[in-house]
Amino acid sequence: MAAPSSQQILDALGRIKDPDLGRDVVSLGMIKELDVSPQGKVSFTFELTTPACPVRDRFKSQAEDAVGEIPGVTGVDVRMTANVRPAFMRPKPSEVLPGVKQTIAVASGKGGVGKSTVAVNLAAALSKSGASVGLLDADIYGPSVPVMTGSRVVPQQANGRLLPIEAHGMKLMSFGHINPGSEPTIYRGPMVGKAIEAMMIQVDWGRLDYLVIDLPPGTGDASLTLAQAVPLTGVAIVCTPQDVATDIAVKALQMFRKLNVTPLGLIENMSWYVCPSCGHRHEIFSHGGAESAAKRLGVPFLGAIPLEEGIREGADTGTPVVISRPESAGAKAFVEIASQVAARTSIQSFRQLPVINVH
Amino acid sequence: MEITWEDGSHSKLTGEQLRWACPCAECRGEAGTAGRLSRVQTLNDAELRIRDVTLVGQYALQIAFESGHATGIYTFSLLRRLMA
Repeated sequence: MAAPSSQQILDALGRIKDPDLGRDVVSLGMIKELDVSPQGKVSFTFELTTPACPVRDRFKSQAEDAVGEIPGVTGVDVRMTANVRPAFMRPKPSEVLPGVKQTIAVASGKGGVGKSTVAVNLAAALSKSGASVGLLDADIYGPSVPVMTGSRVVPQQANGRLLPIEAHGMKLMSFGHINPGSEPTIYRGPMVGKAIEAMMIQVDWGRLDYLVIDLPPGTGDASLTLAQAVPLTGVAIVCTPQDVATDIAVKALQMFRKLNVTPLGLIENMSWYVCPSCGHRHEIFSHGGAESAAKRLGVPFLGAIPLEEGIREGADTGTPVVISRPESAGAKAFVEIASQVAARTSIQSFRQLPVINVH
Repeated sequence: MEITWEDGSHSKLTGEQLRWACPCAECRGEAGTAGRLSRVQTLNDAELRIRDVTLVGQYALQIAFESGHATGIYTFSLLRRLMA
């Protein structure tokens, strides 16, 4: 009698159902390495999802019986194995940014206070001081880094990983590089987390002294993903002086405290405006709100940045003001804040984490 | 499981203690519904044996048990409370 075909074997095995998953074991991909010899000997691997499968023995005898009944089969050899899924659905800490010495998050809680402008200029100032710096734009819905750095290009790939974009001496990566143009990114929360994880794991950041991470507003998915995936060195909180901004900045700061991320301090943006016609100093959004909030919370005040046309212009033309107009008051404020951040960061790097042993 | 804290102090917890303290929504319950741990009296061996532990950021540990249950994120402050 002729040996049966592989399809006949799969049809027979397809009648075995996994009681937990409610589907047949063939469509679940549990049957591997099927071989039928001309003499009618059938061998295959039955791959379970766990070695502790409660129906392991039943599966084996069901498979032997189902195949053994097919005319022409002279012998059945079933190898039972298990493909164990990893214990955790999160990346291993060692896989995330292995070459990065310090990770600094820039957050605000509230939107529109100039987080991205501060993050871009902070990164540019650190880079100008001689450090190797990366800038990760973690704002998936409203990425501003590509425009602010004049780097609207699509990243190249090498060895299955994305290469960061190089501009102004920094390495950059933004969802605006990956999904360019005016098409919106319409994602629910868990997808935002996955996108941020991908920008940390699938991007070849190489060796960096600092990775500055520009966070979106809010105290939800993006901040939480970041605080869970990497041991952040610290977080700098940006706000404008008025109460409506400082109140929300305090919430952001308290969130990071709960996640054991050290607040490096508060930065006051849009702190004052010098009118080019009359030369007077105006405090449009009030003044000193961040400094008094910092005192109240017991965290450092890192400095104040004026409201300046040059800062906006640098952002729109793609050259951060610390590079385009280093002599301006705004650029000097950013450089001073960057050195404060660098100092607080190096203090933080001596901090220790608990040691865990499992016996 | 043994933990040495930043201040040098040590603490020990068994898989059984940790499993019954699992803070995940399935075990604790959510939105007014009772969690699994308040509904069951016993847990089998595989549920109580630790398979692996990983660090979550720098504020918590995630513990996987042999049964495959791994959704509990144990914050350091929870672990300290359990050990006290």
